[in-house]
Amino acid sequence: MSSAADAQPLASRGGRRDAGRPFVSRLLDSKLFLRLLTLGIVAAIWQWYAVTVGGLLIPTFDGTVVAFFELFIDPEFWEAVWVSNQSMIIGFTVTVILGIPLGLFMGRYRPAEAFTDVYINILLVTPMAAIIPLIIMAIGFGLNARVLLVVLFAVPMVMVNCRAGVRQVDPTLIEMAQSFGATERSIWWRILLPGAMPAVMTGIRIGLSRSLTAMIVIELLLIAVGLGGLIINYRGAFNAEGLYAVVVFVIIEALLLITVARWVERRLVPWAHEGALSHD
Amino acid sequence: MIEIRGLSKSFAGRGRGRAGVKALEDVNLTIDDDEFLTVLGPSGCGKTTLLRCIAGLVSWDEGEILIDGKPVRGPGPERAMVFQSIALMPWASVVRNVTFGLELRGVSRSEAEPRARELIELVGLSGFEAAMPFELSGGMQQRVGLARALAVEPQVLLMDEPFGALDEQTRRLLQEELLQIWEHRRTTVVFITHSMEEAVLLGDRVVLMSARPGKIEEIVPVPMPRPRSDHLDTVEGSADMHRITTQLWTRLRSWQVDVGKARKTPVAS
Repeated sequence: MSSAADAQPLASRGGRRDAGRPFVSRLLDSKLFLRLLTLGIVAAIWQWYAVTVGGLLIPTFDGTVVAFFELFIDPEFWEAVWVSNQSMIIGFTVTVILGIPLGLFMGRYRPAEAFTDVYINILLVTPMAAIIPLIIMAIGFGLNARVLLVVLFAVPMVMVNCRAGVRQVDPTLIEMAQSFGATERSIWWRILLPGAMPAVMTGIRIGLSRSLTAMIVIELLLIAVGLGGLIINYRGAFNAEGLYAVVVFVIIEALLLITVARWVERRLVPWAHEGALSHD
Repeated sequence: MIEIRGLSKSFAGRGRGRAGVKALEDVNLTIDDDEFLTVLGPSGCGKTTLLRCIAGLVSWDEGEILIDGKPVRGPGPERAMVFQSIALMPWASVVRNVTFGLELRGVSRSEAEPRARELIELVGLSGFEAAMPFELSGGMQQRVGLARALAVEPQVLLMDEPFGALDEQTRRLLQEELLQIWEHRRTTVVFITHSMEEAVLLGDRVVLMSARPGKIEEIVPVPMPRPRSDHLDTVEGSADMHRITTQLWTRLRSWQVDVGKARKTPVAS
């Protein structure tokens, strides 16, 4: 058994070596249990605070849970989810289609970088709230404006990561490929793209969370539609439970999307996690 | 046969007014078919630059390099290189790394794979075909690098300090195996090293280079009989080995003294 494990160090990974330990100590080690435990503690403190201190504007934990499930049978809520996510999905798609090739290209060809660098830096440092009025004045309150803002907010992160990805490819790998007679095209397909892949995936993940942030911020600040609009409405109506429930929904959506992105990342670029794997 | 005639190369100096560095100056060298040539010199002597010129990876200012009478204009299918930094693709398995050169030359995967497996066996890595580079030790990784170069069946194997980053025991093991492989399937080998012992142990001739400007100072023949791979330890203890190493060291040390003097002169004046 042990010799087989030595011969194939990776194949045996993840094997349950803690079988046979007492249930309680296994339970205390499990990640899920710890997460549920912290959630329970937070919920208890919340409930205690809302009941003893809170007034109209701080809902109880159980009230929020009820409101959360009430949202699910409210067609107005699903309409808001659809409206918000429309701008996020279109904006994120445009970001990926535009940002990845541009970023990769900038990583390899210095003149392209000199040309675009200053604009990326502007987008990276400018507070987004400052650009929103400008965009709205220019193209109005429609879906286009929201999509454009999502793209402006997310695309620099994707580009910067893709650029860094191409840059960090070991130059001797490129030289190695050249020594075997690789053309620029094969160098792209066989060395640069796989080499940049981990950073590209990181860029996609950050771009996704930025898209989500942009979607909500825009709706809260100037274009009061979708989930942001709903939050503003509930605030105006002093519907604290509803407001909290919408916020919880946004958080859950964000967590789900990021989890999916991480999962895809791990499937596509397993070698990027070698450090985590080799220390067992 | 590789003929190098009057090869010179400088690197441009950085910044205004800075003189360029003469990496190679008037290098003349003829390398016979199936010869194992080692190139020895202090760091900065241009030995790696010389190898990269032969590989066709960099251009030069003057002179020419001919392989079987044809001038070198870039990388070619008759040459393959083994790198000091090994340069394995971290995202590809051992087999995929070994088939890399073949696939670039248009060999289909189904054809390249059996050949790769043969070479993986030859370098002693049977059973690790599906392993990823990060699962292998440095010595095992360099075996993959060697298999990748051998896979394209080169006439000329260019090795740039291939064992430089390995520990002593691994290095000795790989030296033995490299010799064994070379004794069985003869190719021309140009082997760069900064170790005197390695240069003498492996080579038919040792090219001794000096730095600034990089040029060939001496070519020392190594008359020890072949094959050596089965008794490398005896070779290392032999009188010939001792004599040649001493000869090389005398030369190398005399330059060290020169450098020391050269540094002192401007201070005194």
